[in-house]
Amino acid sequence: MNARARLLMFLFAWAALGPAVVVLILHLPRFGAHALPYGDLINDSAPRERHVTNAVSAVNFDYRGIDTLGEEFMLLCAVTGVVVLLRSKRGERVDAPAGRVEARSLRPRSDAVSGVTRVLAPVTALFGLTVALHGMTTPGGGFQGGVIVASAILMVFLGEGYRSWRKSAPSIAFDAAEGAGAVLYALCGFASLLAGLPFLTNFLPLGTLRDVFSGGLMLIENAGVTLAVAGGFTVLFGEFLEETRVETRDDES
Amino acid sequence: MNALPWAVSAGLLAIGLYGMVTSRHFVHLIGCLSVVQASTYVLLLAAGFRWNAIAPIFYSFAPGTPAVDPVVQALVLTDIVVGATVTALLLALVLELHKRRGTLDPDQLRPLNRDRKG
Amino acid sequence: MMWLSVLPPLTVVGPLVIAGLLLIASRALPRPIPDIIALATTALTFILCLLLVRHTGHQPLVYWFGGWVPRHGFPIGIGFVIDPIGALLAAFIGVLFFATLVFAWGYYDEVHAHFHVLMLLFMSGMIGFCFTHDVFNMFVWFELMSVAGFALTGYQLRTSALEGALNFTVTNAVGSYLFLAGIALIYSRVGALDFGALQRGVAAQPHDVVVISAFVLLTTALLIKAAQVPFQAWLSDAHAVAPSPVSVIFSGAMVSIGIYGIAKLAWSVFAPSAEIRHVIRVLLLAMGAFSTVIGGVMALLQRHLKRLLAFSTISHVGLLLIGVALWERRALAGVFVYFIGHGLVKGALFMVTGILLALRGSIDEIELRGRGRGIWPAGVAMAAGGLLLAGLPVGLMSGGSDFIAAGANALGQGWLLWVVILGAGCTGAAVLRSSGRVFLGLGPVAGQERHSPTEEDKEKADRPLWLMLVPTTALLVLSLVGTRFGSDVISRATLRFMQPDNAMILDGAQAIPAPALALRAPPTSYTAWVSVALALAITVFSLLHHRLPRRASRYLQPIRPMLTSLRALHSGDVRQYVMWMAVGLAAFALAFAVS
Repeated sequence: MNARARLLMFLFAWAALGPAVVVLILHLPRFGAHALPYGDLINDSAPRERHVTNAVSAVNFDYRGIDTLGEEFMLLCAVTGVVVLLRSKRGERVDAPAGRVEARSLRPRSDAVSGVTRVLAPVTALFGLTVALHGMTTPGGGFQGGVIVASAILMVFLGEGYRSWRKSAPSIAFDAAEGAGAVLYALCGFASLLAGLPFLTNFLPLGTLRDVFSGGLMLIENAGVTLAVAGGFTVLFGEFLEETRVETRDDES
Repeated sequence: MNALPWAVSAGLLAIGLYGMVTSRHFVHLIGCLSVVQASTYVLLLAAGFRWNAIAPIFYSFAPGTPAVDPVVQALVLTDIVVGATVTALLLALVLELHKRRGTLDPDQLRPLNRDRKG
Repeated sequence: MMWLSVLPPLTVVGPLVIAGLLLIASRALPRPIPDIIALATTALTFILCLLLVRHTGHQPLVYWFGGWVPRHGFPIGIGFVIDPIGALLAAFIGVLFFATLVFAWGYYDEVHAHFHVLMLLFMSGMIGFCFTHDVFNMFVWFELMSVAGFALTGYQLRTSALEGALNFTVTNAVGSYLFLAGIALIYSRVGALDFGALQRGVAAQPHDVVVISAFVLLTTALLIKAAQVPFQAWLSDAHAVAPSPVSVIFSGAMVSIGIYGIAKLAWSVFAPSAEIRHVIRVLLLAMGAFSTVIGGVMALLQRHLKRLLAFSTISHVGLLLIGVALWERRALAGVFVYFIGHGLVKGALFMVTGILLALRGSIDEIELRGRGRGIWPAGVAMAAGGLLLAGLPVGLMSGGSDFIAAGANALGQGWLLWVVILGAGCTGAAVLRSSGRVFLGLGPVAGQERHSPTEEDKEKADRPLWLMLVPTTALLVLSLVGTRFGSDVISRATLRFMQPDNAMILDGAQAIPAPALALRAPPTSYTAWVSVALALAITVFSLLHHRLPRRASRYLQPIRPMLTSLRALHSGDVRQYVMWMAVGLAAFALAFAVS
């Protein structure tokens, strides 16, 4: 089927879908003005029963904690998939020079970039950890913090080059971190089982509202997620950055 | 105003699918998939919005202040992780494809050899 | 019983944790350890799920995560509701994974346990999908299952593997986003995510456009996963290039589980809406019928054995969809029995292709002609599988098919039986023809199928034949026994599946007592013999028609353009597949507009 036939059939399909979508939009509840029973229930319950002010984190780690568990392992799955795809053929040597695209000049890294990233990378990492740690009180949490930490590590690549980055982000450590984070989260659930309660019940002392260390078991789950996400995304970045290396003969197996 | 967020979501879906159907480069196709994903974000968040309400963070406000729905925000968080991981996997596939075939034009790539052995 | 309450999280999260630990320790573990751990995990999961089958007969097991039980009938957390059907399907999944891991022993050279990690994650996703009672939780397990599938498809790293994996990933990812959109719509209308709460919401507003649109999006996403017309084209690409152990799981369980999801949503959430029921009975029935026929015909046209089997999966899963769409108790019971039977037989057949790939270095029926003589046990298995696909009246597949036929007859939809006969006859013939050609060297060098796509392929060759044959025969034998047990358990539980006890689940009321009587096993339908006869006739024709006078072949002339256009629909171009998704959605829109 050629491109024109494809496009025509697609437009034909939307000739039927378009009116359907319009009818749907006309029947959707009033934007911003309809009942939110589930949301109100959680907003009422989270500060009172779990002593956390960030209701979104409470939903993620407590009320719907098993969703987040599944999602953590899905992240693990995808990163494992990328690793398998990209790493097997390439080999694991880490000291080859970064590759380059033909007919594109390779400008040397400017000192300004190195200098700025030397300041910014630690600050960003610290910021990421802060966002992760304060997940129970202010907007943030494990996911957001973990990704920020991963991008801080990426800044090292930007400022220092491939080899330094490789030394500061050994793939073994981050592979392990990723798995460890996900397993830690699952073990929190098993800890609840051992305490005789349903899986992922928050049985630890809950702390006081608006305190950084409130939320009980959620804090450990949060730490697990931070570890897993930071590890996972660093491994992902690493795999893609490795692809910029020139393949040496040792890699062919 | 009532229809705008829903229309934006439907529009993004349509644009994303259109881009995928007429794409001539696989990375572009993956980008269009992200556009489809963005339509789900808009739809989810719009479903949980409430006028004149705060974010569901009660740090600076007393608990009990009208707030928007935190459940859809948690769902969107999961959605983002799903999208990021699927995009990463797709980009890795595309990278490997480019290394082997040298091209990313769907017109020149087919899954199986089409030769007519007798 | 205390230990019983631990089972729901254990069966789902246990394999997850073991996979995570395997990943962390993968570098340190010597070669057979990951295999042994994975085998033990799948075996344990199977046993635990069988325990769940036994203990959910009286009333389903309800498990609320985090201790968040519903408040005043409103569910605040996520629940698992395990009924005998879900538990039996989960047990089947455990068995399938166990057999596959035995089959794949020594398959992968590399020392990191990535394959086993991905397989365990895949299994967890499927079992979670069977147990969950929350629509977003269903999405999370669906996604886990999908991403594990994506990762496993691209494992072989041949060129074609990547394009097939790309098609699979892109189409299923669009499906996932449609699922999310459906969740957003139903949430905006009802304000809850639990099935029971959603069903009460739907019952309150059964004609609502938003509810109907949510149904369309959710069902379309699951139809994409189930590879039904018009969303079916990705399956042959993905199957052709996935490694054999992974193909076993895809066709054995992953595709069928899409139909299970559709059934679960239809009865647990959307049943109160008359428009939705009507469209299910009409449009889904049509899609199932088309899939059965198109899958069967396309299977006959293939020379690449895995593509052939992929199309036969589309055809048989089409029968599952027909069974669901009939909206009748016997047909639904048949769906679950057929699910397990088909999964076992199809899994065994993919293992045979794996044997051929490993020991004969090819997957092309024409290239393999006559070369299977040295491994005749595989040929016996393949022929047996072909006969079972054709509808031979023994075992689970036939039992399920009889139930579905009984349901169709009870509704006066007897014409469907001819659709089933056509589909089963074609797929059975395709497999029998291949086994005749590969193992006996019969038949012309090539027929119509020489125009179909193929490729060079091989898999790791030094695994012993017996190691690969044992799981193959085990699966085939399992599909032949256990019919009485399976049908009893399933038919008793089907009524409860169709009418979930929301008062018990949400309000903590006393459970409605389970029906005491199982459905009477229907008599073997005449369709079984007709489809077997049809399959044998087509097989004999394909293998021997080059000896007939030319006049006989001329009858095929007029259908050649149709076959060419049918082939063009499965061109491997992912943009075309996305276009067909839009067409499928439009079909739903039109169906609802007309009704």
